[in-house]
Amino acid sequence: MNMKEFIAKPAKPAPSSAAGPVAWMRENLFSSILNTACTVVFVAFLVSIIPALFDWFFWSANFAGATQAACVGDGACWVFTKAWFQQLMYGSYTDGELWRVNICVISLFAVIYAATKLPKDYRNKIAIPLFLVLPFIWIIILNGKLLGLEHVSTDYWGGFALNVLMAAASIIVAFPLSFLWALGRRSEMPFARTVCVILIEFFRGVPVLALFFMGSVMLPLFFPEGTNVDKLIRVWIVLILFMSGYMAEVFRGGFQAIPQGQYEAADSIGLSYWQKNLLIILPQNIKISMPNILATFIMLFKNTTFLLIIGIFEILSTTQAALTNSNWLGGHSTEGYVFVALLFWICCFSMSMISNSIERKLETSHRN
Amino acid sequence: MTTNNQATKQKIEKGENIIVIEDMNKWYGNFHVLKDINLTVKKGERIVVCGPSGSGKSTMIRCINRLEVFQQGSLIVNGIPMIDDVKNIESIRREVGMVFQHFNLFPHLTILENLTLGPIWVQKKPKEEAEATAMKYLERVKIPDQALKFPGQLSGGQQQRVAIARSLCMAPEIMLFDEPTSALDPEMIKEVLDVMIELADEEGMTMICVTHEMGFAKTVADRVIFMDGGEIVEENTPHEFFDKPETDRLQLFLSQII
Repeated sequence: MNMKEFIAKPAKPAPSSAAGPVAWMRENLFSSILNTACTVVFVAFLVSIIPALFDWFFWSANFAGATQAACVGDGACWVFTKAWFQQLMYGSYTDGELWRVNICVISLFAVIYAATKLPKDYRNKIAIPLFLVLPFIWIIILNGKLLGLEHVSTDYWGGFALNVLMAAASIIVAFPLSFLWALGRRSEMPFARTVCVILIEFFRGVPVLALFFMGSVMLPLFFPEGTNVDKLIRVWIVLILFMSGYMAEVFRGGFQAIPQGQYEAADSIGLSYWQKNLLIILPQNIKISMPNILATFIMLFKNTTFLLIIGIFEILSTTQAALTNSNWLGGHSTEGYVFVALLFWICCFSMSMISNSIERKLETSHRN
Repeated sequence: MTTNNQATKQKIEKGENIIVIEDMNKWYGNFHVLKDINLTVKKGERIVVCGPSGSGKSTMIRCINRLEVFQQGSLIVNGIPMIDDVKNIESIRREVGMVFQHFNLFPHLTILENLTLGPIWVQKKPKEEAEATAMKYLERVKIPDQALKFPGQLSGGQQQRVAIARSLCMAPEIMLFDEPTSALDPEMIKEVLDVMIELADEEGMTMICVTHEMGFAKTVADRVIFMDGGEIVEENTPHEFFDKPETDRLQLFLSQII
């Protein structure tokens, strides 16, 4: 039998009519009268504001000098942030011992870097356990007593480093804790479920400021007489619990997005409850929840500035202290707060980038 | 517990009862899904279950490895009674492999990791041994070259063959198939059926298969079961089943699908 042979047609390149910058602008900026008007107004706005901003930030700004006397002209006086830089970053931490704070911050980034770059086996066996002990290592290093270094009391810990380390230490503990709470909330055991629902709803429903006050003022009343838990530790616990309440709900959303078939397949292989949840469900849940986990973490990171209210010298309270210093009185608050805002923005933006890269790493397949 | 299991394992020879279901009843709320199910399966037997959708056929085989819980009746799998005890449930699940309509591969793990997960974590085998077994079964289902890919990169037929291999890696006594070809493109159904036929012929595996592939039922099954409304309406050899249906309900069903 002589059959006609089927030959597939070769693929042709796409037509180029829509390419080029002019076509792009016509499409995106000037496609209609309304669109054109928006573009013109927005460009006019930028033209009017950008030169003034640059002028304030750079051209008319003062960089040289060390005292308020160096602040002349209309622009920003970055001498202020320069003079107070150490205070803003490290608080009142002992002068010669700042390397200890640096080690803690660097160790955080080193472990994050390792966790994103190491192959999977090492990541699970080294980076993740390391993460979990990191907060305790920080406490030992910063305190210094155990290592035979100079003892620095938590009263002197502060500055932006404290914001960063406090937020990181909280999420590190809150991460596993919130996963447990979320599992508990789905549990078939009424006791576990009730306890977890109460915990989650309480710590999610009460404002974080109220929790801080409870942690710093009320909580000590419940401790037995004579015990003295450090204020910073109490605040750390409050942040962990607050964060866990939010994250547990994030994880709950992730659980609901995982197809029922994944649980059934894990069951049919004979995996135990914990094997199923840690090996099959948790990795998929993290992938689904990553954007929300990051949003929650950024919220927590920014909330660390509330510590100022209960008298902990994080960056916002050091800024205020600097602004009311008798040598620097008179109108540096813009520089001070812009500097704080920039620091936070840089950190949060970097976290977005890191989480995007993690998401891409976890993107192994389409759902089936 | 393990010594107990081995003792029962040795007792059951080919031709002896490996699954015994007696008077099984199940409700979803007030809805009676399984009504007085009685079914005995001998070791090495190949059973095909068919029936209209909503007839309870999937629910019945999902009760066998307790993906569903039944309220009345008894079930004994490979000598182990199904009772509300984690140890019993786990040992039954170790004897029973299951293949799902939607494959249910773990999307975050490679094909090889999908296959070795059970042997490593449940059977506590060394990684090298588990990987060797996994490769053996991947060759059996004819896709050893896909071992390091992720499930999302495979076609539906390939994914289903991986799912079969994943169950086989646990060396089960019984394989359950829950509409294994229903979610596949027509061109891929045959490659999955071929693997199942090979499994039946060469391994002598005890199989219960819920399917609408009547060709498969005719060539492979020792017995065909027809379910409707939560009951087993008819069970017979394929020859009798297709040529001389006893009830009008089965006759109607057959006339509509063939």
